[in-house]
Amino acid sequence: MARGIDYQHSPAFFVRGPSAFARLVFFAALSLSLMATDSRLHYLNEIRLGFVALFQPLQSLANLPSNVMQNTQEYFVTHDNLLKKNQQLTKQALLDSVQLQRLNSLESENSHLRSLLGAAQNSKQEAKLGEILHMGRDPFTHKVVVDLGSQEGIVEGQAVIDGAGVIGQVTRVYPFSSEVTLITDKELAIPVQIERNGLRAIAFGHGRDTTIDLPYLPANVDIRKGDKLVTSGIDGVYPTGLAVAEITKVERNPNSPFADIVGVPVAGIKNHRQLLMLSLPKVDEFRKSAIKQLASSPSEKTEKPEAAAKTDTPTVAPKKP
Amino acid sequence: MRIIRLKTIYLTLLAAFLCYLLPWSGAALVARPDFMLLALLYWILRAPQFTNIGTAWFAGVLIDLASGSLFGQNALAYAVTAFFAVTYQRRLVLFNIWQQSAYVFVLLILNQATLAVLKLFAGGESPGWSYFIPCVSGIILWQFVIFSSISIETHAKKA
Repeated sequence: MARGIDYQHSPAFFVRGPSAFARLVFFAALSLSLMATDSRLHYLNEIRLGFVALFQPLQSLANLPSNVMQNTQEYFVTHDNLLKKNQQLTKQALLDSVQLQRLNSLESENSHLRSLLGAAQNSKQEAKLGEILHMGRDPFTHKVVVDLGSQEGIVEGQAVIDGAGVIGQVTRVYPFSSEVTLITDKELAIPVQIERNGLRAIAFGHGRDTTIDLPYLPANVDIRKGDKLVTSGIDGVYPTGLAVAEITKVERNPNSPFADIVGVPVAGIKNHRQLLMLSLPKVDEFRKSAIKQLASSPSEKTEKPEAAAKTDTPTVAPKKP
Repeated sequence: MRIIRLKTIYLTLLAAFLCYLLPWSGAALVARPDFMLLALLYWILRAPQFTNIGTAWFAGVLIDLASGSLFGQNALAYAVTAFFAVTYQRRLVLFNIWQQSAYVFVLLILNQATLAVLKLFAGGESPGWSYFIPCVSGIILWQFVIFSSISIETHAKKA
């Protein structure tokens, strides 16, 4: 019955190994050096990947109860609900198809105009549908873990979106899962443009709230409450024109040279389980081909200088003889 | 006295790790008690000859791997907490159950505070008071241990 503190090995007064303080010092030094190695030298990424792959069975075991619950809930959805949802989706699909028809004609028109101008074509980015496994475990960061990993061809830096707008970017890839940093995370910045007037800016996650900030914009900047932010696409990661956020607060403090601008992301990260992971645009291959072209035909190049007037082409301006 | 096997300890720690790996989200994520630390403290206070600062450190490394945070952050916080747990472990016999839970509560807060300091140094944003909710939920969980049949018996409890 007695479950006292266990003294089954008769307390050895002298054979207790190193003292507690010595152990603390040893392990503290060990973890400090680990932290330094991890944050400054990035040697430990492979080790981390290996261990996370080892954890995979444990992780799926931990996910099992909630998955089972979700599946049973989905199984018992009422007929009425399904019908309603179906109706709603059909209506949505109809509306979208109208938009899509216009988009197709606009796209062909756009590519035609671009070819007339001699500008480079916008490349299409492929997307993969992923599912959120769980939220990040660290309350200091805004992250989610998605069920697609390097086995499915996910690489670091990919943009992640949902039906409403940009969610974030892939920051760490494991074999069977990947970690997506949300745009509300303090570490993530995203180049944006204001839809109304085309003003470019960079939005940073706020960190504590689920908002994003637009710092370093002058106090007289033309931004109003309700303005919509879209991706500007000059980073070469996010496609142009995806919705990012809506401005909810613009404060101009006379003491500060910068305006205090806050926006709320439009993507509903809390609402869905599915999200789309866009593949990186093939900028590098485009550059390679552009450089080859430049090298092979310099004379043609001098006749049409606007052909090189694309932002992500390297500006190797050929010298006129 | 019941014999404690090393296997039992590691199975408990594994179970705590599984609890940690459950897909928590939203308010549950904020209020999630630190299962791993509670299991560690339990074994450090009850069977200090098996679990020590080293065990705590390795458990912390596991948590670091699973959470994707910087290597060694949780490990250091656990090691510091385990150090204070081990230092006053012998005095635990004199505590009554309320003193014991107060002691564990202080240890939980110490762990969160150490972790917060480490993350702030690593460049995190200060997380606000909700960051300390896991301590409260953790000590509530500890009450179940105290009033169950696996409680750590103290002399003061009998009196």
